Amino acid sequence: MILPRFDVLVPNSVDEAFAMLSRYAEKGIRILAGGTDLLVDLRRPIIPAAIPSCEGCARHKSGSIRSTVDCGWWESDSSRESDRALLTKVQDSIHKYPEYIISLHKLKELRGIAVNEKVNLRVGAMTTITDIERSGIIREKWTALAEGADSLGSPLVRNRGTIGGNIANARPAADTFIPSVALGGVLDIHSEKGSRKVPVDSFASAPGETVMEKGEMITGIEYPAPPEFSGSAYYKLANRKALEICNVGVAVWIALEKPGGPVTDIRVALGAVGPTPILAESVKEVLVGKKPEDANIKKAAKAAREDATPIDDHRGSAWYRSMMVELVTDRMIRLAVERVGGKV
Amino acid sequence: MVREDLGLTGSKKGCGIGDCGACTMLVNGVATFSCMMLAIQADGCVVETVESLAENGKLNKLQQSFVDLGAIQCGYCTPGMLMTATELLRRNPHPSEKEIRLALSGNLCRCTGYQKIVDAIKAVAGE
Ligand SMILES: Cc1cc2nc3c(=O)[nH]c(=O)nc-3n(C[C@H](O)[C@H](O)[C@H](O)COP(=O)(O)OP(=O)(O)OC[C@H]3O[C@@H](n4cnc5c(N)ncnc54)[C@H](O)[C@@H]3O)c2cc1C
Ligand code: FES
Ligand code: FES
Repeated sequence: MILPRFDVLVPNSVDEAFAMLSRYAEKGIRILAGGTDLLVDLRRPIIPAAIPSCEGCARHKSGSIRSTVDCGWWESDSSRESDRALLTKVQDSIHKYPEYIISLHKLKELRGIAVNEKVNLRVGAMTTITDIERSGIIREKWTALAEGADSLGSPLVRNRGTIGGNIANARPAADTFIPSVALGGVLDIHSEKGSRKVPVDSFASAPGETVMEKGEMITGIEYPAPPEFSGSAYYKLANRKALEICNVGVAVWIALEKPGGPVTDIRVALGAVGPTPILAESVKEVLVGKKPEDANIKKAAKAAREDATPIDDHRGSAWYRSMMVELVTDRMIRLAVERVGGKV
Repeated sequence: MVREDLGLTGSKKGCGIGDCGACTMLVNGVATFSCMMLAIQADGCVVETVESLAENGKLNKLQQSFVDLGAIQCGYCTPGMLMTATELLRRNPHPSEKEIRLALSGNLCRCTGYQKIVDAIKAVAGE
């Protein structure tokens, strides 16, 4: 395996991990969980956090350059002082890897699935995707999360990959991130200085970028207890059944007054149709207080489509994705309603 | 480390980024792509490679079944396939065809078209 040079730190307790994270924060330190994202990124010459954002140019909006291959604009006009300064900054960082990697594999306390007396679910950051997939209680009560786990990568990826890594990596198509938004997940983020709680829906700010600060680490995620007559569903629309990143991913959580009765609350999360997973707020306005009937569900799915901001890329066009958001949202709302015991 | 320092060249390196499964080993009994694991992460774990499967110098049942049913062409994917199948059969001695295919979905084979590999595993699973 050809990897850049770095030192690996192996803490034996979470407190030791927090201390290491703050001690080496300025030198460049990255957390290693399952490594299924990080070790791939390290092998490429660039790791996103080390790249400075650009100020924008004629071809790109500000902050859009993630690597030197993204934009060759300086070749055409390298006379501008600010351009040259940016070029140096970008080039300097090409081979800038973290000096330290902190591997969490010994921290058993970060791995596990627990349900407390209030029936809230807590999943430790180092819990593998396979653990989630095989958990009966998650499949029964937080179904969308189990379905997200089912669809992630391949069995080998699921055996290594963790939910903490999937969420921290902050990709718009991350298969446990999207359901976690719909299910109202809240992250426990700790550092040497203390701890805070961040709802999953406000955690990511851009692809690969989050509200996490230097020295911080996710220790777990908590999901609220599902009320009576609530249900959820996740569907990943992709070209293949395994080893695939989604074109569009939709997770729906819905609560009804009674089976077939009016909607009391709904959360729809959309993946791969924006820079981060999106909570489609306008669906709430359309559906809350209404019966989950054909016409209302169709309106809600249209509202979700309005909230999506897809782009064209090699996996699909913005036009296709936009249509699919509507279709998949429609189906997932129906499925979630059926799971509560209603018929649509 | 496993191939060059320990000389166990059974496990293959294919993609190096978790896509192909050619490098699969069992770590504490769990099928793991070794290309995405640092040696230090295996500290204190039981690691099984394809070399551990043969019993008393003879191919075990699963390996023999791969040979008998023609589940090997170039053989590059075979060590990984065998390790993934070994984990599956330990966890679930009588898997259905669907379960076999699902378990193998992270192991790529460019030669056999998978059917014979599935057949070989089924034969051992007593279906
Ligand atoms: C072949 C292949 C297929 C894949 N398919 C999919 C797929 O279909 N869907 C999908 O969503 N993903 C997919 N992935 C991506 C990846 O497997 C998942 O995102 C996985 O859950 C990442 O978890 P990890 O533990 O391996 O993370 P790591 O690679 O260890 O870490 C990922 C990032 O999160 C940070 N991090 C990890 N843990 C913490 C923590 N506790 N606190 C703070 N930061 C942390 C790391 O520093 C790093 O930046 C695939 C990857 C591969 C190699
Ligand atoms: S070499 Fe391809 S998965 Fe490890
Ligand atoms: S036999 Fe050649 S790759 Fe499988």
